[in-house]
Amino acid sequence: MTYRNRLKMYFKKPHNVILTLLFVILIYLTVVPMITIIIDTFTVHQSELMRIKGSKVGSFTLYHWTKVLFSSISEKMFYQPLFNTIIVALGTCLVAILIGGTVAWLITRTDMKYKSVISTLFIFPYIMPSWTLAMAWLNFFKNPLVGGAPGLFTVLTGVETANWFAYGQFPIIMVLGLHYAPFAYILIGGILRNMDANLEEAALLMKASRARIMRKITIPIVLPALLSTFLLVFSSAMSAFAVPAFLGTPVRYQVLTTQMYRTLNGLNPGYGYIMALIMIIIGILILSMNQRIIGKRKTFTTITGKSSNIALIKLRNGRLLVSLLVLISTLLVCIVPLISFAVESFIVEPGNYALSNFSSIFWIGSGSPEIANGEPGILRNPSILLGLINSVKLAVVVSLVAGTVGILTGYSISKARGTKLASIVNNLAFFPYLMPSMAFGAIYLSMFAVRRGFIPPMYGTFALLVIVGSVKYLPFASRASIGAMHQLSGEIEEAASIQGIPWIKRMVKIIVPIQKASFISGYLLPFISCMRELSLFILLVTPATRILTTMLFQYNEKGWSQYANAINLLIVFFVVGSNLLVNRVTGASIDKGIGGN
Amino acid sequence: MPEIRLENITKRFGKSVAVDNLTMTINDGEFISLLGPSGCGKTTTLRMIAGLETPTEGEIYIDNVCVFSSQKGIDISPDKRNVGFLFQNYALWPHMTVYKNISFGLENMKWDKEKIHERVIELVKMLKIEEYIERYPSELSGGQQQRVAIARTLSTGPKILFMDEPLSNLDAKLRMEMRTELKRLHLETKSTFVYVTHDQLEAMTLSTKICLLKEGLLQQYQPPLEVYRNPANFFVADFVGSPNINIVEMIGNIVNVDDVKLTNPSLNLIFTPTSKVVSISENQELLLGIRPEDIIIGEEGSFDAEVYSTLPSGMETIVKVKINDIILTCVVFGDVDFKVGRQIKISFESSKYVLFDKQSEIQLSSGKLS
Repeated sequence: MTYRNRLKMYFKKPHNVILTLLFVILIYLTVVPMITIIIDTFTVHQSELMRIKGSKVGSFTLYHWTKVLFSSISEKMFYQPLFNTIIVALGTCLVAILIGGTVAWLITRTDMKYKSVISTLFIFPYIMPSWTLAMAWLNFFKNPLVGGAPGLFTVLTGVETANWFAYGQFPIIMVLGLHYAPFAYILIGGILRNMDANLEEAALLMKASRARIMRKITIPIVLPALLSTFLLVFSSAMSAFAVPAFLGTPVRYQVLTTQMYRTLNGLNPGYGYIMALIMIIIGILILSMNQRIIGKRKTFTTITGKSSNIALIKLRNGRLLVSLLVLISTLLVCIVPLISFAVESFIVEPGNYALSNFSSIFWIGSGSPEIANGEPGILRNPSILLGLINSVKLAVVVSLVAGTVGILTGYSISKARGTKLASIVNNLAFFPYLMPSMAFGAIYLSMFAVRRGFIPPMYGTFALLVIVGSVKYLPFASRASIGAMHQLSGEIEEAASIQGIPWIKRMVKIIVPIQKASFISGYLLPFISCMRELSLFILLVTPATRILTTMLFQYNEKGWSQYANAINLLIVFFVVGSNLLVNRVTGASIDKGIGGN
Repeated sequence: MPEIRLENITKRFGKSVAVDNLTMTINDGEFISLLGPSGCGKTTTLRMIAGLETPTEGEIYIDNVCVFSSQKGIDISPDKRNVGFLFQNYALWPHMTVYKNISFGLENMKWDKEKIHERVIELVKMLKIEEYIERYPSELSGGQQQRVAIARTLSTGPKILFMDEPLSNLDAKLRMEMRTELKRLHLETKSTFVYVTHDQLEAMTLSTKICLLKEGLLQQYQPPLEVYRNPANFFVADFVGSPNINIVEMIGNIVNVDDVKLTNPSLNLIFTPTSKVVSISENQELLLGIRPEDIIIGEEGSFDAEVYSTLPSGMETIVKVKINDIILTCVVFGDVDFKVGRQIKISFESSKYVLFDKQSEIQLSSGKLS
């Protein structure tokens, strides 16, 4: 066959065309930025001219690397934050797996009460922005160290919280742990639910005790999922920015992300790029480990069977106690923070919870000069309105782009299964998942700040936010779609193509309607993630493109906590509301997309 | 009239060869079965003719029109080959009703509504599924789904129908029923059927010609009874027929000019070729194939044997007998049973025993035994 003919035949298949396009685009949007950032760590930047003597902008230098890794300031600037990052990530994993795993086990394997309420509410912290709990923590436990008013806890009990309890490592770990507990719950619960109950029953019939079954059967089988949860939570916790920024800054507790924000926003972008690069490398290492574990232990994780008729463990006398305990703690984590935001956003003088101190000025006030520089209430504040519109617009556009490209990615990868190109594109589409959001933002900042070929400088444009968001959330959509396509036999489409039904119609009338629920999760996940995303966009927004999350961060930095609380409530309302709406209308749910059932 | 011609078709997946240099012609109106064990390339062959898979090399002609040629760079898409395809798992669209499943392809061909309606009703009547037209596939039994799939495939009136193990998901009883229907359908539609199966009984009972494949290579392409009686090689003999053909390893020597003296520690026989002249070297290793129904069990006979086991099923009884160290499977028709351990006599009275060369496994001749 001639080369030309072969090419002609190859591109006759729509999935090959899509794959090739995706390959080119994804190389440009993921690999090229990687290279840019590596080069950036070796070049002199405008703001660094003063410090690197006798240099010109853009010339080669080892200054950044030596300063970050081998100088008198590296301890404070790099090694300590790195160490803190690792401690925080490990602690987060421990908390998340312990809580999430326990709840997953209770729900799938015992006769605990209120299961449906708990399983619905328990996902909430993951849907809500991660700093929600951090702000709630501050609302409750802040102490006068940073000035201003004490938290609710101190007001109610008169006990002043210790510094270690209010700020820094401990609360960061707790808050991140609670935030990622639902993630562990979904992954571990999914395995427990899919695991053939016969495996446990077989052991039971051989007179093994429950504890022994747990130790010798259940845990070994769940272990790959546990490890995989561990690694995913570790890499997410490592790249968390908002929580350490909220809870760590008052006591100068720095992690890599907060340090990166400082350096990139300050005078040392070169340092920041190095940290970004190191975080990406750690991320890649962790996720390739994860892939190896899943790959090797595949036989475990794909065990399926009917566990619906498993004999649930009777909690007997403890049943009510355990049920209530779990229910109340779930409510404490999910609902109470929201109430605290509501309360805080109505209080004029922070810390004074007298009824006379309540006011709606932060919501609907027109603004008075003595409070917060005359900033009007958030519902009549034009700049917040702009932020809200931008946020929604961004989330919608990003979810449309990421969701649609995700469907096409999943479609073409599963159609061309086994080919080299398909596996390359598969990896490219997953690559953004490995990159810490802040680092990803930094890369795009570095790459698109200047003109690149025919692409004009895009810094400060809305389009840049859309691109960065779409690429970052593509993995969510493409995972959901690959999963859906794998379940769909190829014959379903062939049955149509043999009758002469064109490709577009096959997609729109057959494939998409059949896997509607999964595809909608592919749109929903990017939407929600985008609505609550801070670290990805924080380096890229300008006043004209500001979004709610970045405004919240700024208000909080200025200490105007009432505005921050009110905005947070607004975001939570939007995120949870849209999730519930989509869930109700289409039956698609967020946990479907992350691997639950 | 459509005639399908494959010329030197080869399909490679990476390094492995799925179909190896296959050349065959399927005449108009035939019912061809592509038969072979799993992984022999039969489904790939079918999909290549239908246009769902692209061959690596070779040419395919349908109705004397070249639909694929690797040299000329021709690859006509499946919908322009005027073929129908029945999938193993039916591939019904789960979100469409039975009616919609059948009409969807017609709507796409821009037929007007009334004509579509007429056609759908005609098909559901023919396949006896009128009462289910408003149901969704998940609300139908396997057999009903199969009928819907057939109706959908027939809707656009293809002259050639491809079927990929369409009955393998049905239970035994339903499968029998559908076999009859398929054969009737073949006569009614006067189309060419190409059928993929790994079930030799299905291939035997349905087809006008069997195409037996092994590891991508064509083994034999002939009518079922010919394949059964005159297998081209040991593989074919062993694959076709249930219970399996008996194979006895023998050492052969020419005696009396044409006959072959077969020796084995347990059994000595003289083979008289009837189909072709056998030429072998001294003490050549051979394989003797004896169909179970070609062994006569009785009180009289030329060889002593002992009943080893019996499997009576009413219509027939499968009896294993032991001659010294050899165990042979025989079939006795009728509701008879034998006591295990009983001494009996057997004889070989047919003229359809086959002899293979052990090394090349090629058939040398068929003939009589004495």
